Amino acid sequence: MTAAITFTTVTCRYGRRTAVDAVDLDVAAGEHVALTGANGSGKTTLLRAALGLHPTTGGTVTVGGESARSGVEWARRRRDVAWVPQRLAPGRFPLLVDELLDSGGHPDAAREAAGQLDVGGLGHRPLHTLSGGQLQRVFLARALGAVTAGARALFADEPTAALDFDGQEQVATLLAKLPVTVIVVSHDRAMTRACDRVAEMAAGKLRVI
Amino acid sequence: MDGFLDLLSLPAVQRSAIGLLIAAVGLPIVGVFIIGLDIIAVRFAMMHVALLGIAVGLLAGLDPMLCGLAACALAGAGVAPLARRPTGLPGAMGLLMTFAIAAALLVLSVSGVNATGAFELLWGSILATREIDLIVLGALTVVVHVLFWRWRRQLALLLFDREVALCSGVAAGPLLLALLVVVAVAIGASIRLTGALLVDALTILPALGARNLGRSLRSMVLWAVALGVVGNTAGFAVALLIDQPPGPVLVLVAGTLTLLTYLIPEGARDAIDPGRRADRGGDPVPAGQRVWQR
Ligand SMILES: Nc1ncnc2c1ncn2[C@@H]1O[C@H](COP(=O)(O)OP(=O)(O)OP(=O)(O)O)[C@@H](O)[C@H]1O
Ligand SMILES: [Mg+2]
Repeated sequence: MTAAITFTTVTCRYGRRTAVDAVDLDVAAGEHVALTGANGSGKTTLLRAALGLHPTTGGTVTVGGESARSGVEWARRRRDVAWVPQRLAPGRFPLLVDELLDSGGHPDAAREAAGQLDVGGLGHRPLHTLSGGQLQRVFLARALGAVTAGARALFADEPTAALDFDGQEQVATLLAKLPVTVIVVSHDRAMTRACDRVAEMAAGKLRVI
Repeated sequence: MDGFLDLLSLPAVQRSAIGLLIAAVGLPIVGVFIIGLDIIAVRFAMMHVALLGIAVGLLAGLDPMLCGLAACALAGAGVAPLARRPTGLPGAMGLLMTFAIAAALLVLSVSGVNATGAFELLWGSILATREIDLIVLGALTVVVHVLFWRWRRQLALLLFDREVALCSGVAAGPLLLALLVVVAVAIGASIRLTGALLVDALTILPALGARNLGRSLRSMVLWAVALGVVGNTAGFAVALLIDQPPGPVLVLVAGTLTLLTYLIPEGARDAIDPGRRADRGGDPVPAGQRVWQR
């Protein structure tokens, strides 16, 4: 199962600063889109808005034709779209790797994916004791669990930023095989090359290359 | 020693020992929540919010303690929306504390209610435990355990990171609201039941110790209850032995226990973790379901 995603004149502000400026983007079901652009151009804000983690001041995002307004609808949106955040929470309070893996909705798949991403033996470690790259791999494995559990799309925000060279390639190949709609923020060429299309943001506006 | 056994045969002392034990099984979990939410000021805040409620109750001719607890519940619920901001809760608790002190003093002064009288209604003592207090403490302990064991996965995610919780299907808003109301009412009630000083020995101290020992919410809760039971039983026994008021003696004993946990090196935590399990990778996922390998 995979879902088309449509952004229609999405606008987001932080106070008076416009971070995302009337962005339109159509992503077909199953399509893989790479999102690039300068630091601070609004990529993270755009994806967070689509998940209801940042309020929009205008526009809508639909996933599989469904928009989200109520709490219940946002909850369904977050089940529908697996998420690898850019700023990985080291957390204010201890959480075990296994607890995070299980939270994606498919513990067995997430643990198996963790094994393949070389973070299999860390299940009982608290997240704050992992290295940056290990933490990123665990969040990726969790997202793969969420996709196995039925998420129809994946948003990954710089999922290879903390990875070594082999890791970057491994994750690029792995995401390319995913049978769901993918929007991946990345500055990494292996990753953008593996996508169907590249979209670039500049100062809150989007243009498709 | 004879004096100790004589004291223990008194029904009042027995009741307080039982009350303390019940509280030590339940309240340390509240302490873990407090540390997890970073709201240590909640104790002072609820003390004054309860005082305000009591003053309003006296003024309106309603049951003062019920009004005090209702005020705590409302205050707990009232700060919940502020948790959206990263520093929202700790700041809100501090602010609430100051507001509540001022409001309580003002209401007491305007109404002409005797402030000392209102304070006395609030400040209980473990040695004055009545049967009804045991029932209330028991109920509180049950509520706290049900909240924790029923929703521990969700709570662990919520205390770890609100957005990770939201993206894992946790109803972060309602859960946080429930957590804050339970914490606020538990603190308010236990000030009345055990005295303000003992609340620290029963909540914050075991939780601080557990923070040093546990590596997950679950193991922290187990450690906190263990520290609470050991520290408070030992403290109570020492107080009886040396025939001194239990409040300060208990805090000193529980505090010493907490202090000792700081001596345990970080690396040793793994070995003593009560939640420790052998690592298991998870059951193999059928190849057809392995979405990342098609
Ligand atoms: N919490 C915040 N408060 C105020 N402004 C913010 C906040 N978060 C982001 N911004 C601003 O919004 C704009 C867009 O930020 P965003 O994080 O979406 O950029 P980005 O494209 O993801 O950048 P990067 O490549 O560095 O991750 C930036 O100008 C940033 O300074
Ligand atoms: Mg970003």
